[in-house]
Amino acid sequence: MSTRTLTDGQIVMRSLRARPLSTWITIGMVATSVALLLVLLGMRTAARGAFDRGSGNVHLLVSADPSPLVAVLNGIFYANAPSKPIAWAKFQQIRNGFPYQWAIPTQQGDSYRGFPTMATSTDFFSKFEPAAGEPWKLADGRFFERPFEIVLGSAAAKGSGLHMGQQVFLTHGSGASREGGEPDEHAGHVHAEFPFKVVGILEPTGSAHDRALFVDLESSWILHAHDRRERAGIEGKTTAADLTDEDRKVTGILLRLPTRAGNDASAAMQQQFDTLRRDTAIVVAQPAQQIEKLFEIVSNVDGIFIGMAVVVLFSSAISTMLALYNSMAARTRQIAVLRVLGASRGRVFGLVLTESLMITMAGAVAGVALALFGGIAASAWLKASIGLVIDPSLDPRSTIIVLGGAVALGALAGVLPAWRAYQVPVADNLRPAA
Amino acid sequence: MTATALSIRDLRFAYPGATWSLAVPRFEIAPGEQVLLVGGSGRGKSTLLQVVAGLRDATGTVEVAGHRIDQLRGAARDEARGRSIGMIFQTFNLLHGFTALENVLAGLMFSAMVPKEHEARARGLLETLGIPDPEAEVDRLSVGQQQRVAVARALAARPALVLADEPTASLDPENTATAMDLIQSACRADGAALLCTSHDPTLRARFARVESIDPFVAGGAA
Repeated sequence: MSTRTLTDGQIVMRSLRARPLSTWITIGMVATSVALLLVLLGMRTAARGAFDRGSGNVHLLVSADPSPLVAVLNGIFYANAPSKPIAWAKFQQIRNGFPYQWAIPTQQGDSYRGFPTMATSTDFFSKFEPAAGEPWKLADGRFFERPFEIVLGSAAAKGSGLHMGQQVFLTHGSGASREGGEPDEHAGHVHAEFPFKVVGILEPTGSAHDRALFVDLESSWILHAHDRRERAGIEGKTTAADLTDEDRKVTGILLRLPTRAGNDASAAMQQQFDTLRRDTAIVVAQPAQQIEKLFEIVSNVDGIFIGMAVVVLFSSAISTMLALYNSMAARTRQIAVLRVLGASRGRVFGLVLTESLMITMAGAVAGVALALFGGIAASAWLKASIGLVIDPSLDPRSTIIVLGGAVALGALAGVLPAWRAYQVPVADNLRPAA
Repeated sequence: MTATALSIRDLRFAYPGATWSLAVPRFEIAPGEQVLLVGGSGRGKSTLLQVVAGLRDATGTVEVAGHRIDQLRGAARDEARGRSIGMIFQTFNLLHGFTALENVLAGLMFSAMVPKEHEARARGLLETLGIPDPEAEVDRLSVGQQQRVAVARALAARPALVLADEPTASLDPENTATAMDLIQSACRADGAALLCTSHDPTLRARFARVESIDPFVAGGAA
């Protein structure tokens, strides 16, 4: 049985196919603006989540950095090596001054091929969790147990190409380093007398810690004590027995306060925060609060980007309107013929409006796909380059709002061309062309 | 079946600022009847057809197959036109970019025919009128084939009245004869009345009834 008919949808599709360049450009513009909006909105939420991961189950971070925000950026996200140290005696004073669940000393300053190192205690792996509720996991080997053993973050292992059992020489500061063999004179100040052995590689955590290498605190003290002794003209390889109080320094202290079972927050947080703040020799930061502050600063910038994306969306709506409006001049005869065949003015108005909506909807759907694949690509890049784990999935609420907005704009863009079609004088447009 | 395919009473029409006007006191076409309306170029033949089709507003009564076109407004008038009137133009006015079949289906989009019958009706007409490939885009068809498609589209909805506006004005005598054979036989086969306008006196012999536009034109030359 024959069922084929000519429908409004077919007429619209044929009309779009009749001017492919204009149609595809307009769809592309809508897709780009929708994708841009969705990615920016999604990234803002996802980036926030990713930054929240790094501080894990730490309640307070103590350092000698100039401000709490700098302390968090350096101590949690490895932005720079902290510039001022804290004496070991101060660490002991803080640790013993309150019944903390744990207090973990950290020291930063050395690096390997640009990947930062963190010298710390074994508590860092057993008690600190890089994301709350997600303890460290080893992809290979074990955690360090004694001096001159090194554990690699997942991104650091991948980026450096180091593998289990290999020897590593660290660099003072953030210059280049090298693996086993003779020290490289051009690599900066390499701690060439003290090779570290790779004993473990960590699973990815989705935090900045993935880019770091972890060593025992005493090893780090020995490296720097050796430098001090060399400058003083003392010969011979430095050992733990040569360490003085001057050598025993840290650059950060991770603190966790007592909590009730099943509760991550501590009732003593504010009191202990205020107590530590009275010590002018140190800076104390609540990482969660500082990340909030960071995002308040950044939100102004991403507001501008989102504003720009909205402007692009409006531009694409105007482009849709112009493309359709201009096409009306060439389509007056087609419209007149449809009217003669029995199409009402309203039907013709609807056809043009549908055309605008189809362009916008095609663009919006392409934009969602673009945002999804773009998000996956951006997420992979961010994870590989700076260790940030961004969830590339789109927020359903934002997606619905952006799609709804795009379709509404598309409908609006179609009104003027549709009105022009509505007003086409039928009889005048059926005459033979002059 | 209604008593007349077309009935006009006391029709008056004038373009704004024009020195002439149409005045048709009484004009009727019986169902299935074929009428040739003759007159010089610009005498108002096309205008009269447009008034009959409801594309221009005039005073008086215009009734097509029982539909009072003059009383209908907006979508109702468009619907009545789509169901009762078929139109054939000098330049065919086909939908470019569409196939022959789709052009005929377009003539059925706004008809009273149930959609499941559209394709069979369209294909049947195209076959009868000798279009070998209904799926060919009309722009690829010869002029003669395009005219056949235009005739098929005009007859698709089984209209009571076909209005043919100078359908042979751009054709040579041989093709004129072929085209008129086609239009007249197709209308006859479908039972549609035909009102055909032309300024070509050679067509008079083809019609049992020939009317001149001149008695209906008042005022100066159009």
